[in-house]
Amino acid sequence: MHEMECRVLSIQSHVVRGYVGNKSASFPLQVLGFEVDSINSVQFSNHTGYSHWKGQVLTADELHVLYEGIKLNNVHHYDYVLTGYTRDTSFLEMVVDIIQELKRANPNLVYVCDPVLGDHGSMYVPQNLHPVYKNKVVPVADIITPNQFEVMDLLHKMGPDTVVITSSDLPSRLGDRFLVSLGSQRTSKWRVRMEIPKVDAVFVGTGDLFAAMLLAWTHHYPNDLKTACEKTFSVMHHVIQRTISYAHELAGPGRRPSPPQLELRMVQSKADIEDPAIVMEATVLTL
Amino acid sequence: FEMECRVLSIQSHVVRGYVGNKSASFPLQVLGFEVDSINSVQFSNHTGYAHWKGQVLTAEELNVLYDGIKLNNVHHYDYVLTGYTRDTSFLETVVDIVQELKRMNPKLVYVCDPVMGDQGSMYVPENILPVYRDKVVAVADILTPNQFEAELLTGRKINTEKDALEVMDLLHQMGPDTVVLTSTDLPSPRGDQFLVALGSQKIVRPDGTKSTQKIRMDMPKVDAVFVGTGDLFAAMLLAWTHLHPNDLKAACEKTISVMHHVIKRTMTYANGEMRQIPHKCWCNPAGLKPLLGTTPPSHSWAKLAHLNQTIKSLKNGWPGH
Repeated sequence: MHEMECRVLSIQSHVVRGYVGNKSASFPLQVLGFEVDSINSVQFSNHTGYSHWKGQVLTADELHVLYEGIKLNNVHHYDYVLTGYTRDTSFLEMVVDIIQELKRANPNLVYVCDPVLGDHGSMYVPQNLHPVYKNKVVPVADIITPNQFEVMDLLHKMGPDTVVITSSDLPSRLGDRFLVSLGSQRTSKWRVRMEIPKVDAVFVGTGDLFAAMLLAWTHHYPNDLKTACEKTFSVMHHVIQRTISYAHELAGPGRRPSPPQLELRMVQSKADIEDPAIVMEATVLTL
Repeated sequence: FEMECRVLSIQSHVVRGYVGNKSASFPLQVLGFEVDSINSVQFSNHTGYAHWKGQVLTAEELNVLYDGIKLNNVHHYDYVLTGYTRDTSFLETVVDIVQELKRMNPKLVYVCDPVMGDQGSMYVPENILPVYRDKVVAVADILTPNQFEAELLTGRKINTEKDALEVMDLLHQMGPDTVVLTSTDLPSPRGDQFLVALGSQKIVRPDGTKSTQKIRMDMPKVDAVFVGTGDLFAAMLLAWTHLHPNDLKAACEKTISVMHHVIKRTMTYANGEMRQIPHKCWCNPAGLKPLLGTTPPSHSWAKLAHLNQTIKSLKNGWPGH
């Protein structure tokens, strides 16, 4: 029987009772045959969602001491590093130092990073962790698993006040004929989600039209990302619908339209461009 | 069929390797037990390596963690499992916790490995002995001493099998209904490639009469010293006595079989490593008896999580010693 020899260093919380952090990660990985070395960043009685919780945290120095022990024995060879929820910047910085050294020891090392910052619009780690994630952690990560709040946040931290994820494979609450787009504006704190009807065709130039229209409508609604997005996505909808109808006409019944036939009906959509009827509603996620 | 059986295991944690909670948790979880674990220390690795570093939990910090569990009213356990402990106040706090948990659940079973030493020498501070002898053993339900520890606890030397059986009876009187002498120097009827372990369990027969089931196990010696095997043994004995509650024979056969498979796989793997690196060896010569040309170590179920013992993976003794 083939035995996998794959060693993971997991630096996460330990809870006496329950399944978070290392308690959540170790057993399943071990069951799948991974060797799991685990550094417990804290030891708590249970996770902080219970009525009560008590325990101790590991300092950055203590983390370093543990790593030193591993290194002195020359067993600091890992295929993966896994990290998650951290609350302390110096601890996180020490983690980055360790990872950089482990990558020198094994250039093929894969660092899987869950950049835990918050969810549903609220932060549950101190603000000063953000720059550490952005500037130090994410650059050395190979796989990151942000939730949509964290994605937006990381992108915001790179500079832009407004981020729109124009399309995603996230499941829509309206079913699989719809795709999900997300928008976030940091200063106004708007976070919106839109369910966009899918169209069974490939268009070229729609992204360019989108960016231009978002420019226009955020110009008209600088502090109202909801309306700006509704207008922008509505324009897209009108242009696309006009285009696909015309393309089917040109192609004839039962034939798939060709690229020339699918060129956007831009000038024909002038009226919709000037004043788009709102045909989809953005869901506000937080304010 | 889903078992709902919760164990509180208070043992060491090592970042790398398999001793203490690292040795006990995964196997118990694989068998379907819910394992709550309090890490009494966090070390980089066990103390048989050339180097080790880390932090220990104080008795006070142990109390704080237990307090958290209690405040949430989730301090309900079917089993408690403890092993290697060096600190008397920590051990005394463990006893307090066990007593309180037994008040919460009178059926709680405390599986205690009274780790103190082996082959005639102690590798914990001497003042741990009175705590085990006078406080811990009294609340233990399953006890897994080696011969040396059984002698320390009872003040009796074991020279014959009869001595061993009497010592186990003495231990019963001190508390536990189940006692397993995990290794002894007693001669095995199967020859000197085998080591003898003994078990004794007080049971109540279906007709209500009391009896003691006594068993002997002859285990093939292995020419290596392992660390963490004692912790695995205690954890597996917990599991298999749970699944075979009045049948120590069956429980021990399962437990020892698990040990055998794990050790065999470890030996095979380590020998493979050895072939690549012929002189790879973590050794601490201080206090080790010379083994070249003599009988192999007589305790394959070594629970020697301490300085004098290391992992060696050799077929024919140590090169160069």
